Amino acid sequence: MEMGRLKNRLIARVFTMFPSLARGAAAKVPPLSFDQTPWAPFDKPLSQARIALLTTAGVHMRADTPFDMQDSTGDPTLRVVPSAAPVAEMMITHDYYDHKDADRDINLVFPVERLREMVAEGIIGGLTERFFSFMGHIDTNHFPRFLEDQLPKVAAMLKADGADAVLITPG
Amino acid sequence: MGISIERKFTEQTRPSRAIFLKWPYGHPLGEVGNVKQHRAVLGEAFKLLQEATEPGTIVDVPFRWRREEY
Repeated sequence: MEMGRLKNRLIARVFTMFPSLARGAAAKVPPLSFDQTPWAPFDKPLSQARIALLTTAGVHMRADTPFDMQDSTGDPTLRVVPSAAPVAEMMITHDYYDHKDADRDINLVFPVERLREMVAEGIIGGLTERFFSFMGHIDTNHFPRFLEDQLPKVAAMLKADGADAVLITPG
Repeated sequence: MGISIERKFTEQTRPSRAIFLKWPYGHPLGEVGNVKQHRAVLGEAFKLLQEATEPGTIVDVPFRWRREEY
């Protein structure tokens, strides 16, 4: 593995071991700014609701193209993960957080098995056929594609799949 | 609804609803194989989904890292 990726993974491991260092680094990230807070009321019983899952943890199907770790400014592209897919067919490509535990149990960042259990128990009504994943290291040069192309695609697929709510998880 | 482990970023991105846990990166649902812990976190998230009335609600979940029984 090239030195740049090794360095990123080492930093990610240190940040996981010492969360205060991670929060110190996060404090130096230039602030984001958005004009609005989105809102939609949730007004149906959870036991009848169809839930979607979206993560920024870099999850994708093993058969799918991995996220780009060569571009130091990130990768804004979307991966679709079937909600019924075996977790053994999923993997994580993301050098900017330490995912060695999530590699052993993907539910730490992408709780697909927990959500299936909740459906089986009748706590939530169902899952959308498609779940969604990004790799959360996305610098501002990628924002136009991310915000104006990829996210509207996700929104359209969520609407087409009849999602009543979306659970969003980080890495 | 979102699960956050970095409150600053969550405040800036202004999600409609989020729960925050002061837990390490890579572990928003908790520890390997701790199903009860994962379910407790999801329970908090879905509770917020059903109960929040104000856009931008962020709830600080008081679960301590590796110091709770679920």
